[in-house]
Amino acid sequence: MGLYLAQQLVNGISYGSILGLLAVGYTMIYGILGLINFAHGEVFMIGAFICYLASAVRGMPWVIGAILALVTSTAVGFLLQRYVYRPTTEKKAPLLTVFIASFAASIGLRHIVMMFYTDKRRAFPIPGVFERMFLVGGIAIGLRDIVIFIVTIAIMSVLAYFIRYSKTGMGMRAVSYDKNTAELVGVNSRKVTIAAFIIGSALAGLSALVYGLSFGIVNPSMGITPGLTAFIAAVLGGIGNVTGAMIGGFIIGLGEVLFVALLPASLSPLRPLFVWALLFVILFIKPSGLFRPNVKFEEIWE
Amino acid sequence: MLLELDNITTGYGKAQVLKDICLHICEGEIVALLGANGAGKSTTLRCIAGVIQPWEGNIKFRGVDTGGVAPYILVSKGISYCPEGRDVFANLTVLENLKIGAYLVDDEKQSEFRLEWVYDLFPRLKERQRQSAASLSGGEQQMLAIGRSLMANPKLLMLDEPSLGVAPILIEAIYSKIQEINASGTSILLVEQNANLALEVADRAYVLEKGEVCLEGTGFELRDNEHVKASYLGIA
Ligand SMILES: Nc1ncnc2c1ncn2[C@@H]1O[C@H](COP(=O)(O)OP(=O)(O)OP(=O)(O)O)[C@@H](O)[C@H]1O
Ligand SMILES: [Mg+2]
Repeated sequence: MGLYLAQQLVNGISYGSILGLLAVGYTMIYGILGLINFAHGEVFMIGAFICYLASAVRGMPWVIGAILALVTSTAVGFLLQRYVYRPTTEKKAPLLTVFIASFAASIGLRHIVMMFYTDKRRAFPIPGVFERMFLVGGIAIGLRDIVIFIVTIAIMSVLAYFIRYSKTGMGMRAVSYDKNTAELVGVNSRKVTIAAFIIGSALAGLSALVYGLSFGIVNPSMGITPGLTAFIAAVLGGIGNVTGAMIGGFIIGLGEVLFVALLPASLSPLRPLFVWALLFVILFIKPSGLFRPNVKFEEIWE
Repeated sequence: MLLELDNITTGYGKAQVLKDICLHICEGEIVALLGANGAGKSTTLRCIAGVIQPWEGNIKFRGVDTGGVAPYILVSKGISYCPEGRDVFANLTVLENLKIGAYLVDDEKQSEFRLEWVYDLFPRLKERQRQSAASLSGGEQQMLAIGRSLMANPKLLMLDEPSLGVAPILIEAIYSKIQEINASGTSILLVEQNANLALEVADRAYVLEKGEVCLEGTGFELRDNEHVKASYLGIA
């Protein structure tokens, strides 16, 4: 049993990385624009798809496919900001309008990809080196898991440092808290918004690579469930709090895996429910999330 | 002439608030803007700061037309606006709140120098620099908001009711700081409910009623004016 649990925890770490990396984009954009970027799951999906197309279909080296994935996700996020969110939010469109635009962008992107590739699952290319396994005290740890863990932790630390100490990071926290006052002290909120979309979308692309390496599949609707789950992780970690979102991702990732591992197999279809139950319990105890949000808290829930 | 408003008319949405406002501030002056609740004092400051746009009329800052320019650009041109109700960033520390005031200052040395200057002005802020801004008292938050506006080294500082909700002893301290700031070369546009206080420090003042300038003059003149005495100084 102990070994089995330890094995599940190792698996949970990759899943936690996927959610944590994806949650950063949600939390930054929700913090700054006050709305959910519904198309974030599609930014994620497109990243995975590009790596698949480049590497598996076109036969390019995997690394090139991975770099193209990151670049494309970032570009899609930037274009969403430029052509969906900027026109609507800067013209002070009603929240419902922005909401619909966001939803339309999500569905539109997903179905454009489906139009060309149908929603069939395809095998994500996994380079041979990642399949190397190490046996540590009876637990099988893949080189893949180790690389994923190290890369995620490294990126998290750099990002946390950036948000805490850089001028742009400080500007982001200020705009999240109060955009009007931030503009009054000299912060260009448009630049900060662009930075949030670029960082969030690049990490969504990275998350998609981790997803592909862990689950080995890609399909056009692959972004829906991880997207929703990562959004919950962002709320759990305190809206606008990047480190909180990462930790929230790990809590949900590990929690889900343990939920399935510990309870009888007949209950495992309830796995999605577990996420919502966890969110409910935590928000019931601490409505602002586990860590300090970077927003004026009352505003969100009013 | 530092700032010149020429027949400014503006408001919110379709509701007009200001009508044909003319006012000016010379280099080095402290100018007060007085008026009852809802007279349009804060609206005037918001219009100068670029938060809302003039519908009609011109605003010139150091001879350059600033109508339609974004607030963050006006900060870089030398206009700082310390809004009513001391909106400090409660999610940042005291030090971060001050540093963000120098967001547009690229010269690290200069912003360090400004920081020390603000700390000299408000030593209390230095003692609490590592604390969250949310943990400050109302008066301390007011000092922080003023300090933050000063970090950009403004040529014009606009203060919106700096005495609001501040204990009398702190009000006195803040007002003596306002004079100190002015003496260092920053011109000040001061909005106050408390006309006594404002007229004491102001070189000149304007009185707003229902969105229009109804009186203007030097601090002395207005303190002797019968209408001001009756309506704003509480002297029958
Ligand atoms: N954001 C806003 N949207 C719509 N109307 C507003 C807004 N802010 C102020 N007003 C209206 O504009 C008028 C002038 O308001 P303003 O805040 O300029 O007054 P004030 O002189 O600063 O008053 P106070 O002394 O109470 O601060 C008021 O009638 C107010 O209702
Ligand atoms: Mg006001």
